[in-house]
Amino acid sequence: KISSAACGYGFTLLSSNTADITKVWGMGLNKDSQLGFQRSMRDQTKGYEYVLEPSPVALPLEKPQQTRVLQVSCGRAHSLILTDSEGVFSMGNNSYGQCGRKVVEDEIYSESHVIHQLKDFDSRVVQVVCGQDHSLFRTKKGAVYACGWGADGQTGLGHYNITSVPTKLHGDIAGVNIIQVTSYGDCCLAVSDAGDLFGWGNSEYQQLASVTDTTQVNVPRHLPFKIGKIKEAACGGTGNIVLTEEGNVFVWGYGILGKGPNLIETAMPEMIPPSLFGWSDFNPDIRVAHVRCGLSQFAALTNRGELFVWGKNLRGCLGIGRLEDQYFPWRVTVPGEVVDVACGVDHMVSLVKSF
Amino acid sequence: VSVLGIGHGNKLLTDLYNCHLTKVYTVGGLFGKATDDFSDTGKLVEKTTFDHITREKLERILAVIQGTNHKALLMHSNIDMKTQEAYELAVKGLIRPMGKSPPIITVIRCLQFTLPEFQLEIHCLHETQQYLRKIVHEIGLELKSSAVCTQVRRIRDGVFTLDDALLRTQWNLQSIQNAIWDCQLKVKTEIEKTLGPRDKSVLHKTDTEMAQAADS
Repeated sequence: KISSAACGYGFTLLSSNTADITKVWGMGLNKDSQLGFQRSMRDQTKGYEYVLEPSPVALPLEKPQQTRVLQVSCGRAHSLILTDSEGVFSMGNNSYGQCGRKVVEDEIYSESHVIHQLKDFDSRVVQVVCGQDHSLFRTKKGAVYACGWGADGQTGLGHYNITSVPTKLHGDIAGVNIIQVTSYGDCCLAVSDAGDLFGWGNSEYQQLASVTDTTQVNVPRHLPFKIGKIKEAACGGTGNIVLTEEGNVFVWGYGILGKGPNLIETAMPEMIPPSLFGWSDFNPDIRVAHVRCGLSQFAALTNRGELFVWGKNLRGCLGIGRLEDQYFPWRVTVPGEVVDVACGVDHMVSLVKSF
Repeated sequence: VSVLGIGHGNKLLTDLYNCHLTKVYTVGGLFGKATDDFSDTGKLVEKTTFDHITREKLERILAVIQGTNHKALLMHSNIDMKTQEAYELAVKGLIRPMGKSPPIITVIRCLQFTLPEFQLEIHCLHETQQYLRKIVHEIGLELKSSAVCTQVRRIRDGVFTLDDALLRTQWNLQSIQNAIWDCQLKVKTEIEKTLGPRDKSVLHKTDTEMAQAADS
């Protein structure tokens, strides 16, 4: 039973909470070994650069029959796998230190067997997030660590250099209990237990324009939006989306934001009318339960198990039966109850419970 | 609910038809039997068990039906999804087929469920009674059983609801005049909302006719 799925830039990782030896499967691009080493059937010494069906990813676990994989996350060319008792495993491209290990000059990432284990955090890691070329880790104590590419300030460490070891973030989130972090491009958002929203990273598309005129922010800043307590946030390449405690969805940034073709840029959050998610006088109990982001797509899951998508429809990734871009939330017909969805650059994966 | 038009009302009926408003029905069904015309008075074709059916399973099937119909709604509405108007219409819930189209269900809900009987509320466009009975039959099949339709009752036709309807005992001139008076505003607003502001003189004529009818 698959419990977590993540879409990267041209590849996908699936993981299960099982105690079996095989816990993670990967498919798609493997030119940087973001799916680990996939031994070729034709030539035992070589590995596959493209994996065409879900294939087991071998993890160097100490206790393979006890440790469980909790979550997976994928970035542009690297991936992170979170376990319950053996820390975080990182694979793939490390040119910017995004795998949390020292950058090796002229390292060849293709057909590499290197899987790095990260355990040095203030407490157990409970969430891993891959940005485009950086990684974020959230610990049980509510702290956030980052490593990788920092030219847009996405590591939030106060500088614009690369970091090859996960380092704790301070700024406005120092001492704050963060309950969720999110990133996919070069912008990052974090939600605290009090319902506050913090952001750092790229702001070329007005993502952080509410607190700064600069195009990059390298230290977490509190975003003082007066839209209610934030429950969940998701970052895309150029746009951001949040879900409030009342169940309202707000979007801001640049691109197809979900309020028709006229709204393509805004620095302040705009609410998407709940009627677009099926709410009406006849159905007043419908609420959005989760929000997710791909690079230029958005997805929302309602409490009825329905999936709504909008954004750029690259190669039909929205799954609405058409190839045109979708400018406002549209329901995807799925033969089952959608439990979770993962969005990539031009593909989407959803975990569905059949009727 | 059956809508009748008097005098000028007949012309308004055409306008209302062109609004393509939804009608709401309560449909009663019975699990365990299948007949040739999908109703409980038809020739019995099949008998099945139904103990495995739960309300939850029924509601899931209803969700699927609503989903597939949602897509059909869009296809027949002939609206270009890339425009800002499409967004505005979607927010107001006005994306509807404005021409001829096969029956489309916009909302379907389970009102009551006591095995083997169940009652559904269906909001639909361009439907026929046979289509509604067929839906009941298909729901039975999806739940790996069978069902027949026991009752079809229209509870809303566009803007006219059960509350506006006159009982048989009220079929006299005074009640009819009152009813026309009450519904007048609703009809006017709905036509204006969907078809756009009409020629003011036409509606003004309606008002004067109503006033004359009330006086006589």
